[in-house]
Amino acid sequence: MQRKIVEFTNLLRKSGIRVSMAESIDAFLALDELSLEDREVFRDALRTTMVKRSEDIAGFDQLFDLYWSAFYDNLRGAFDQAVGSMGGEFDLEQMLKAIQQGLQGLSGDQEMDLSELAKALLTQDLSQLEQLIRQAAQGAGTERIENMLQIGFFTRRTLEQMDSEGAGKQLRDLARQLRESGMPDAQVDALLDLIDKFLEALRQAVRNYTERELQQRNFDYMEKFRRESLLEKSFYNLTEDEIRKMREVVARLAQRIKNVLSIRRRRLKRGKLDLHTMLRRNAGHGGVPFELIFKQRRKDRPKLVILCDVSSSVANVSRFMLQFMYSLQECFTKIRSFVFVAELGEVTPLFKERDISLAIDKALDGGETINVYTRSNFGHAFHYFWQNFLAAVDNKTTVLILGDARNNYNDPRAWCLRDIHNKAKDVVWLNPESPSAWGFGDSVMDKYLPHVDLAEECRNLKQLSRIVDRLVL
Amino acid sequence: MFDSVDEVVGQLGGQGYICGKNIGTVVYLASQLEKPVLVEGPAGVGKTELAKVVASASGRSLIRLQCYEGLDEAKALYEWEYSKQLLYTQILKEKFAEAMSGTTTLKDAAERVGREDSVFFSERFIVPRPLLRAIQAPEPTLLLIDEVDKSDPEFEAFLLEVLSDFQVTVPEIGTLTSKHKPLVFLTSNDTRELSDALKRRCLHLYIDFPDQALEERILATKVPGIEQRLAEDLVGMMQRLRKLDLKKTPSISETLDWARALLALNAKQLDEGLVRDTLNVILKYEGDIKKAQGELGKLLVKRAEEPAAAAPGAAAAAPAKKGVLH
Repeated sequence: MQRKIVEFTNLLRKSGIRVSMAESIDAFLALDELSLEDREVFRDALRTTMVKRSEDIAGFDQLFDLYWSAFYDNLRGAFDQAVGSMGGEFDLEQMLKAIQQGLQGLSGDQEMDLSELAKALLTQDLSQLEQLIRQAAQGAGTERIENMLQIGFFTRRTLEQMDSEGAGKQLRDLARQLRESGMPDAQVDALLDLIDKFLEALRQAVRNYTERELQQRNFDYMEKFRRESLLEKSFYNLTEDEIRKMREVVARLAQRIKNVLSIRRRRLKRGKLDLHTMLRRNAGHGGVPFELIFKQRRKDRPKLVILCDVSSSVANVSRFMLQFMYSLQECFTKIRSFVFVAELGEVTPLFKERDISLAIDKALDGGETINVYTRSNFGHAFHYFWQNFLAAVDNKTTVLILGDARNNYNDPRAWCLRDIHNKAKDVVWLNPESPSAWGFGDSVMDKYLPHVDLAEECRNLKQLSRIVDRLVL
Repeated sequence: MFDSVDEVVGQLGGQGYICGKNIGTVVYLASQLEKPVLVEGPAGVGKTELAKVVASASGRSLIRLQCYEGLDEAKALYEWEYSKQLLYTQILKEKFAEAMSGTTTLKDAAERVGREDSVFFSERFIVPRPLLRAIQAPEPTLLLIDEVDKSDPEFEAFLLEVLSDFQVTVPEIGTLTSKHKPLVFLTSNDTRELSDALKRRCLHLYIDFPDQALEERILATKVPGIEQRLAEDLVGMMQRLRKLDLKKTPSISETLDWARALLALNAKQLDEGLVRDTLNVILKYEGDIKKAQGELGKLLVKRAEEPAAAAPGAAAAAPAKKGVLH
């Protein structure tokens, strides 16, 4: 049992569920306190001690079934089937009783020394069988299995290891002896048939075990990889499903940044003792300082103006950036957001009325605010902003531009950006393309760069969060 | 305290808290292994309630520490009662003068004050906060640290220290050790990831929304007057409602509120008009209500044997009673 739990712990770890040494010890302590007859209780005990993140629970349940229950159930199924295929009038109980009687009839020197496997097969001791299969598989080195092609090989080796042929021979010998000691022929034939069926069931079970071992080894890449890579996966190639999952990841990330920020703020706030105010405030107590007053520093929250390119090539990036920024709303005094392809339009009111994700869909789907079915024209968009919204920018405003600067050979009108830059506190440009591509082809990034304080590649969530972190500091 | 998992489930049931074996196992293990339990799950599934019920089932007194942003040691552990100390010095001024008499130099006087300062840093001037109260309590207690995720990471680190050995060092007084190890429940709404170190020390319990059968049992216990059929329909609808993508998924407490509301309205069965008018009991956002109203047909599964004539009457009666809910 102990060994199995250690093995199971390793399996959890391989699958990306972190289980510390202390936690596996807790699991042992917990199992000591419980009776293990109830599988549910057993599972709950393991789960409560080893799995500490609610996201991991689904993975744990899957692995638990894979490791603990499914194999036993499968074993049971294989043997039930073996008995079932014996025909209608066959009765296992009766057969076992007959064998028992027959064995008693045998004289001492004829008595057979059956191997453990043979005994377990004959008496249908499935938990003993499970134990034997696990041991044999260990001896055969099944845990080294790497691909489908090796299943046959390791199945054979495991069977050899547990000497299934020897057990079969012993059982057949037993049947023969029972015949000699006067068991009816029909019954002996049935017994021989049953033995063959059992051996086949055993072979199946071992094969199943080997397949399962392969599955367990491969389990880790399935779930864990997906989650890990969501942070680093490029926004360009997200599937629908991943976009949905991504929303949660973005929300979580935003929350984390908020937490970090709140600590930083508090450190700032915890000022020195304000002697002047304190003395004045405590004048009523005869100058005895009953009430302590501390200096509070003013918080400086940035204003934010977001310009998002929502042409199809960068729509996803825009989506997540908008979500990110609006999840962090309370970190800014004010956010105004604009979307553009060639025309530019303000979408700030959308976010006031609606749920964030809905508002983003609305903003990106287009039609209502701007025509999204044209070719990007950064120059035109900036010019329009310059004409109509320049007043929104002041010396406390950070202007955040998101786009690939692929201008379709239109006039970049970089002077608009220059004027915006002159008025703003900072201009930050996030480009989903890597810097090596800037300025090549129809990219006019190089024209805009002189008027930008910070230009960063932003292709995945990790980069986005790093930039936001710097922004709200 | 408890002898088996089943006994835990039974005792909690006796207190009106219906739960499955998973909760029972964790509570049992917590009492046997003397480990804190971290309870997570969506809002309103009964996390805090669990702690309260375990306290009363095991006869421990409950000490509750509500966490919030900015909670610090002074609010959670102990604080020197600064004003009381000041008040005492003012009142005892003459006594001080007496004690100081005969000293000639400033240094001498300071020496003497130094000898007496233990008077002012004694337990008399300490305000014990929940953690210290749990440690000092003469009888076994249950400490509930509610919504740990709301507190700051720094506080979490400090909590870790207290939870590991249940003793506190007050520099001026010395180390205070607990007489009985309190049973500790921490709850979290998962608004932020707690540190691994804290999680490692706790048993973890995730309470999810209950399944249909369990929720019906809970409903029957908490709202005894409700008819079986209405309860079934109501729980079925809640279960389907939870599958929608809502801003705030309704929880058990909403189920109970709704059941009580329907009971007050004297409703015998769920029909579309009634549900439409009472949706604001279970859904707390305008957007959610709109969404649910759009899907009402799917949410309300009609019973085959339902008499069609009953529906219009109930629908007509409902708007008049709408005022009750607002």
